[in-house]
Amino acid sequence: MTSWKTSLAFMILTALALSATAFSKGYAGIFTFSLVINGIMATSYDIPGRSLDFVSLGHAVFFGLGAYIFGIAVSKGFSFFPAFALSMLLSSAAAGVVILLTAGLSHGYYSLATLGILIIFQRLFETMEGISGGSAGIYIPEPISNFQCALLAAFLLLATAVGHAVFSCSRWGFFSMETKADEQAAEVIGIPTRKLKVLCLMTGAVPACMAGILYLARTSHVSPVSGFSLTLSITALLGSRIVPIKGVLGPVLGSLVITAAEEIIWTKFEGFNLAWFGLILLGAALYQGLNFRELKKE
Amino acid sequence: MIQVLISGLFLGGVYALLAVGLSLAFGIMGVLNLAHGSLAVLAAILYKKSLVFYSFSPWTFCILATPLFLGIGFLLHFFIAAPFRNLSPPSATVASLIASLGVALILEDLFVWWQGWEPISTYIDFPTIQLLGLKIPGMRAALLGMAAVTISVCIFFMKKTDPGRSMRALAQDKETASLYGINPGITALSAMGLAAILAGVAGVFYSALYPLSPREGIDLTLKALFIVVAGGMGNLRGPAVAGCALGFIESFTGLLFTYTSTDIVVYSLLVSYLVLKRGRRRQ
Repeated sequence: MTSWKTSLAFMILTALALSATAFSKGYAGIFTFSLVINGIMATSYDIPGRSLDFVSLGHAVFFGLGAYIFGIAVSKGFSFFPAFALSMLLSSAAAGVVILLTAGLSHGYYSLATLGILIIFQRLFETMEGISGGSAGIYIPEPISNFQCALLAAFLLLATAVGHAVFSCSRWGFFSMETKADEQAAEVIGIPTRKLKVLCLMTGAVPACMAGILYLARTSHVSPVSGFSLTLSITALLGSRIVPIKGVLGPVLGSLVITAAEEIIWTKFEGFNLAWFGLILLGAALYQGLNFRELKKE
Repeated sequence: MIQVLISGLFLGGVYALLAVGLSLAFGIMGVLNLAHGSLAVLAAILYKKSLVFYSFSPWTFCILATPLFLGIGFLLHFFIAAPFRNLSPPSATVASLIASLGVALILEDLFVWWQGWEPISTYIDFPTIQLLGLKIPGMRAALLGMAAVTISVCIFFMKKTDPGRSMRALAQDKETASLYGINPGITALSAMGLAAILAGVAGVFYSALYPLSPREGIDLTLKALFIVVAGGMGNLRGPAVAGCALGFIESFTGLLFTYTSTDIVVYSLLVSYLVLKRGRRRQ
């Protein structure tokens, strides 16, 4: 990626982070917080999504795990920072298990497995009423102020973007490009493809877990449907794919477009929000089919 | 226990019908169609709406609706299969998965707008059969028979007719099939039409047995995918057997635990199967 694109991406991200901290209250506060959360989800999705061409339909699993473990910790009497550290550790460990299970799968099967895992977690947290509050979910008292939450989210967004840029420029980034082009050839030249996939997927999963924690800290409520949400997974997928620019700029611009579209869809087309998401997905897939020449057969 | 087995068999028959269509689409075009279950829900809604005008039996409705679903299948082909035919197989599968998920989401909202949140049930009273001390609902037995006949006709079509042979040839080797004069475009279009018809039949039968939610399309598709993956992609007998197995699993889990536990068991099996068996094979 050329340096001006990286510079532009970080300029947009800094502006986003500053506006998130400047407008931490009211409608502007909610909107900028959604922008930042969607930005984190899309950028973290983009690390394995773009570099390995993995299409996950269950990126929200990590988000939901982070939110739920944090919610359970807070409801058990932990204060914010110990709960944050504990839930980050536990949700990352749980994410690691999920990733170790699915990292060996090939493209179509990986998408199916991630969707299946999303539904399993949704139903599991619906069933465990004693721990997770069942279908109603968990309500927690506000652990930190909206400003502190926005500040942490802005910091996380910048850290995720830096992680994305560092990964892309590192030797693992080049390994992933080679693996994406031809996995067998990559193995032959000595690239540890499984280790690479696990590393790549974990780099994408940890920020999503932390985004879940901050989401719950800001909204005070998470349910199986909002935590392990298919819509959230699709938002991350679209945010990562809708702007066909490689590097950090793609998901940053994508998340801006998707959050704006989501806002219009939720407010102007009530009852048809899924249909609009479907339309955007279909459009993105058709665009990919018609324009992504590098994927085409020789 | 035997009653649960019979109930599982009925449910499995409908799942098998749904999975056979999905397997056909994947085997021939490499399309993982996530909108397949939504077509079943569409058929159930259309059947329910048609009952206001005339009380068709499920099988009469299926025969009458065949041209409509054939057309829907053709239309779907232009959105989720045809645009990706020039991509490499893994990329085409993923692109079709995303496109079909888009179609499924559009359909789900349209169904709720058209039909409301009320579950779709087209249950018709039918005499109960008494056999060896067991009570077998007549409608379920008739539908199971019809499902078996439909799958058999489908297998016969694939094995013994020229269009069926063309579809199998295309599934095995697209380039060689083209050299033998098979038109890949038309054959793939026909396969998608046939898959849509099977989804429609499954939806009508399902709604006659159990209430179907307008938002159940993706759930149905995932269960059908589990069957297809377990039974073997692109083959028709395997999914038929795996469909019955899933019916049994669901019936027994429903008896032992709750409805949500049924989903946890089914999806855990799907993921475990994918991880243990299919994922290790290179596409």
